[in-house]
Parts: sequence; C-alpha cells; structure tokens
Amino acid sequence: MIAIRERRPATRPGLVRVSAIGFGLLAVLAWGQVLAGGDSGAGDLFRGDTWTRAGEFAGELLGLGAEGESAFVDGALWQNAIGLSVETLAMSVLAAGIAGAAALVSFLPAARNVAYGELGGSRRAVGVPGYMVLRLLFAFTRGVPELVWALIIVFVFSPGVLAGALALAVHNYGILGKLAAEVVENMDTRPARALRGAGANNFQMVLYGVLPQALPHLLTYLLYRWEVIIRTTVVVGFVAAGGLGREFRLQMSYLHYDEVALLLICYLALVIGVDLVSAGLRRLAR
Amino acid sequence: MRAVPRAPRIEGRGLLTLLLIGAVGLSALSVPWGGDLVHPGGGSAVGSIVKALARVELSPEFLRITAYAAWTTLRFAVAGVTLALAIGLPLGVVASGVLTRSGGRKTASIVVARFVLALLRSIHELVWAWLFVVAIGLSPMAVILALALPYAGILGRVFADALIDVPEEPLRALRSAGASEIKLLVYGRLTIALPDMLGYGFYRFECAIRSAAIFSFVGVQGLGYQIQLSLDDLLWNEVWTLLIALAALVLLVDAWSSQVRRRLVS
Amino acid sequence: MTHLADTPIIRVENAAKAYSGRLAIAPLSFTVAEGEKVAVLGPSGSGKTTLLHLTAGIIHPDSGTVELGGHATSELGAGGESASLVGAIHQQYDLVGHLSVVHNVLAGRLGRWGLLRSLWSLLSPQDLGLAEDALERVGLLERLYERTSRLSGGEQQRVAIARLLVQDPRVIVADEPVASLDPARARDLLILLSSVASDAGKTLVASLHSTELATEFFDRAIGLRDGLVVFDLPVMELDRGILDDLYHLEVAG
Repeated sequence: MIAIRERRPATRPGLVRVSAIGFGLLAVLAWGQVLAGGDSGAGDLFRGDTWTRAGEFAGELLGLGAEGESAFVDGALWQNAIGLSVETLAMSVLAAGIAGAAALVSFLPAARNVAYGELGGSRRAVGVPGYMVLRLLFAFTRGVPELVWALIIVFVFSPGVLAGALALAVHNYGILGKLAAEVVENMDTRPARALRGAGANNFQMVLYGVLPQALPHLLTYLLYRWEVIIRTTVVVGFVAAGGLGREFRLQMSYLHYDEVALLLICYLALVIGVDLVSAGLRRLAR
Repeated sequence: MRAVPRAPRIEGRGLLTLLLIGAVGLSALSVPWGGDLVHPGGGSAVGSIVKALARVELSPEFLRITAYAAWTTLRFAVAGVTLALAIGLPLGVVASGVLTRSGGRKTASIVVARFVLALLRSIHELVWAWLFVVAIGLSPMAVILALALPYAGILGRVFADALIDVPEEPLRALRSAGASEIKLLVYGRLTIALPDMLGYGFYRFECAIRSAAIFSFVGVQGLGYQIQLSLDDLLWNEVWTLLIALAALVLLVDAWSSQVRRRLVS
Repeated sequence: MTHLADTPIIRVENAAKAYSGRLAIAPLSFTVAEGEKVAVLGPSGSGKTTLLHLTAGIIHPDSGTVELGGHATSELGAGGESASLVGAIHQQYDLVGHLSVVHNVLAGRLGRWGLLRSLWSLLSPQDLGLAEDALERVGLLERLYERTSRLSGGEQQRVAIARLLVQDPRVIVADEPVASLDPARARDLLILLSSVASDAGKTLVASLHSTELATEFFDRAIGLRDGLVVFDLPVMELDRGILDDLYHLEVAG
C-alpha cells in the first residue's frame, strides 16, 4: 500500500486575499478615525512650538540648563542606579526561572500527540481535558500583558522584586508553555515509539524519546524570552515598585529629566548586556 | 584488555543547566523574604478575585463598553502596526543591503540603517510613550508613534534578515534572465520570504494589541483604561470580563494568523 | 499435551488487518520455529511492514490471532514481558538522535528498569557493562559516548542491533533493516544480524528487497503479494520463475 498524498484544493482559496483586504479595511478605518478626530495630535507633530518643546525636552534629558549639577557627574546617583540595575537583573532572572520551571512541568500534557495517546500509549482519561485546560491557561496568561498582571498582583503581594517577577513569570509562562508544547507536537515521534518495542512504559518513553529533543528547545526559547523580559522588567517595576522601574517613576514625578536619562542609559546597558549573555548561552546550549 | 572510552565530564549543556539554576537561586536572594511579602489584605484579595470569576460581569451595558474598548484597542494596534510597517520595511530593505551594489556606500547605508533599527527597538514602547507624551502631550498620535517606532525597529530587523536569508538558486535564475536588483527583490526575495515575514508580522500584530491595551491605561480610551477603572473600584467581576475580552482578542488574531500562514505554505 | 519444544515460537492463525477499509493483510497463517531465520519478500505495498508489525506485536490483528511464545500479542502488555519476547529494528529512526550511543543501547533495559533507575541512568549509565559488551560485539565500542546523530546510517543500524543485544529478546523482527544502506554495508549488517541471532539461538524474521541477501543469510522465505502468502519455501528452492511471479508488475489492458 503506497499512500499518495493528494493535494487538496484549498476550501477557501481566497482567504489570503480576503485577509489582506480585511486588514487594509481595518487600517483605513483606524487611521480614518485617528485623523478625523480633531485632537488626534497629528497636526501637533508639525507645529513649530512642538519641535521647540521637544528640543527643550531633549536638552533637559541631557542635563543642560538644569539648576545645580548635571546628574551625570553625580557619583552617588550612578551607584544607586547600578544597584537598582542589579535588582532589575535579579527580577528578570527570577521571572525567567519561575516561568521556565512552570512551563517545564506542564508542557508535556499540553502537547496534542501526548495527550491523545498518539505516542502509542493508551489515551488516558485525564489526557484530553487536561490538554484543553492547559492550552486555555496558556492562552489566557499570555493574552494578558505583564503590566496588567502586575497591577493585579500588587493587590496580593507587597510591591517589590517578587511582585514584579511574578507578573512577568505568569505572562511568559503562557508563551513558553505554548512554544514547548508545539515543539513536542512537531517532533518526529518514531524514535519514541520504537522505545516502546524495547519495553519502555509511557514515562520511560517520554524520558528517553521526547525530553532529549524537547528540553534543548525549551532552554533556547527561555533564553530568547529572557531578552524580552529584561526590557519589560523596567516597565513592570514601574507598577510593582522594583528595580529601575521604581526609580524611573520617582524621578519622573520630580521632573528630574537628566536623572531619568541616567537611568535610561543603565537600562540600555542592561538590555545590551542580557542580549549578549543570552546569545552566548544559546550557543553553549547547541 | 579492551579499550573502553572514558566517560565525559558533565557536558556543556549539563553545566549550563546548573549555571542557570544557580542564577535563579541567586536572584531569589534579592527578594526580601519575610512577613510583609504578602499584603495584609492579600489573602482575602485572592479570595475575592477568584470568587469574582464565577460572577463575571455580563450585563449588556457592560458588554457594550467592553466591545467598544476592545474595538478602540484594536484600532490603535492596527494604526501602530501599519505605521511601523511603513517605517520598518524601507529601513529593513536598506539594512539588508539587497538593493545596493557592494562598496563603501553600501556598507555605510547598511550600518546606518541597522543602527537606527537597533536604536528604535532597544527602547521599550512605554519609554517611547513617556518621551512622546512629555514632548508633545497626550494624544492618539503620541501613542501610535510610541507603538510604531519600536515595532518598526523589530520588524525592520526581522525583514532584513529574512531578505538576506533567501537561498541563492532561485535568484540566480532570475538574475540570468536579466532582472534588475529591484525586480529581483520584488519577484524573487519577497515572494520567497513572504510566509515567514507575514507570520512574524502577525505575531507583532498580536503583540501590538497587548501594547495598545497597556497604552490605554494612561488615559487614551481602550481596554486598559477600562481595566484601570474597574480595578480602582475593586470590581473584580468586571476586571475578569475585560481580561477575557483582551485574551480573546489576542487569540482571535493568533488563530487568524495561523490560518493565513497555513494557506500560504500549502 | 504438546511438548514445549514442539511449540512454534511464532504462530499466526488467520490473522487479517485492514486500513481504511482496505485489506492490508488477508487472513493468513504460518508458524515459525525457534531459531529459524525467515525472510519476507514481496513488492512494495504487499503488506510486508504490516505483517512484521503484527508479528512484533506492535499492532494487533483485526481478526485471527498472532501468538508469540504461546501468548497472544493482544494480551501481552507493553513492557518487560513483551520486550523479552520480541524486539524490532526498522529501516531508520529507531534511535533517539539527541542521546548519546550508550543511552540508546541501554534503552534495551528499560523494560526491566523502574522509573527512578531509568532517570538515574541518564546521569550515570546503569548496567554499563552490558552496553560495552553489546557495542564491542557490533564493533562500535569507541563511539560509546558520542551523540548518536553523529554516526552514519550503517553505524546507527549497528547501534540499534546493540540495543537489541541488551534487550535480549527471543525473536528479532527486522523491517527493511538494510534498505537505506549501500550493498556493501547491507551485507555487513546482515552478517552481523544473522550471527547475533545464531549465537543466541534467536529467531529472526526480516523483510528484504534483495533476494540475493535472502538466499545468503536466511533459511526460509515467505513471499507476500497484496496481503496474501504466495509461497513459503526453504530458501534453496527459490527459483527465477517463483520470484518473477512474486514481483511482476501488473500491466493494464
């Protein structure tokens, strides 16, 4: 029996075209409403005094024209900022760790082929509903942005590093869980099924046949997410009062724009640093 | 005596895992563990949050508010993404260097374009938002720009890489048929790279919806604004409705994206 | 009361298997005595893989029975009991590429190990001596700790045989084990497989494309076509005419 894959004609051949038109329509509607409303601010962009104001603002960022000393020469401020940067870094690592650990324990039952017993094991009664619940959980946690999670979490946890880390972890858990489950779903399962013939039970089959392939991918995704997390940590810290974010909020309320610029530099340094470390670690993982 | 190879010490990946676990442990140390980690009212807050899930706010009036807020958020996301494409695509093409012939000018243009893209995307959208709001005041354009600029940086870089990664063989055929670099770009590279670019574009659209929701916290209408209102009054059942609407919006775009990509690949 | 020595190790009785309404194996019966080496021949699509999978207990017949060592395959659970009776080797993809050779070989012990031991073995290989012996037998001892995906196709097949040695089943079922190998390596592999079986008195059932290899290494040949047994003969009695009948293409009109 030779199985011939038939090329099924697309049931809705125009989906791509319809989508393109649909999106274009959305764009027109969106921009139309923006520009038609009188206070869109679009006109503001081209007004002369907007640019002078922007220029003044840029100057303030650089510490020019401010009273007293520019923030950039203040050693104590730099020290404080660096300490906060370390705190922010810790928040990001903690968040990634929690998200990674949680995804690690729940990504397997969330893979369609595992839940539906396609790996040759019996379809366990808990498999299919468990799969659906987990997928919904992933969708919900990743659909809600980290900032919103942070706003909710501060009702339970005191503002600080843990609150921020938890908010980031919840959101990224959904992302990592979905990615990891998809790795298992797209995997070649023949080696795993061959293990069954060697006498392996379900657990052993997963341990020897699925995890060796899935775990490196999970690690790589985690490292990629870390790069995104460090960027968002500052923002979450704003709300959850941890690290650089908290200081941002403070200095912005004092209108100390040059100190804000100092913090921005630390932020950029953190982001670049994490990008580099993540790339290096990813190479190690390969 | 047969020659049995020696067992390797812990290999690279095992070491990496240990390192990572250690790093996480270390960072956990920076948390001030102790009594006041949880709010005094924290426990009961969890209770009311969970209980509210059973009584999700479904009154027609509130659903209308939710729908309008979702639509507003969607509009901002679309506007932001389209502007990001308008800025990012050209920059991406320049940064990929596929249109210019090799030489000093080519390297310069590539470096400049990549630098601009990197700068754009290194600054978080909320930081951009703050910069714009302080500079030109709170307005829809400020928010749209704050979304569009970092996204342009991200999209531009991904597009540049996608254009460069197109394999040589199909392009060689076109080139030998006498196609100019521009035609090569349009007919060759774009058509081949399109599924990946579209896939990533849709993913960015999904992210844009989340970003737009967050932006609306600062006062521009949208789901975030509504969540803030309900949170201020501790109306957890309303918060759940809005969260579900947000997650649903994101899921819809995700489903739309996978459908389109599947059609393109087959 | 039948003597155990008279009981065939494999007994197939009116076993049939259908896929999507189409009969892959028509009801057929045969027996294999312990220690026999049987080659299954036939054109593509004749149902060789299905028959071998039925024999190995990987799938179960829709009707009729397949018995291994006196037990019906449908009653043998997956696990140690079945693994000590029958082991399989395929054309490719038996091994986990991401694991090192030693773990792939020791996977043959999974039927006898508990979960904790299986887990611990990944960090510190258990029953290492068994793996070393098996790899030495197949001539790959020096590759013990290498990542399996780095080995060539022929070498990986030998690792698969090493796994079978560790698993130590009474019956080895091989589904096109040499189809991906060039003629020289195919011969080498069959020399190995055949001697591994002979050394321990194991039964070998293999599907092959090449009748030369069948004649050289096997005692008995079963010809399969469209799910039916066309012949079941000692290998010496195969001749041109019989083989042509088996492989001839149906010409339309």
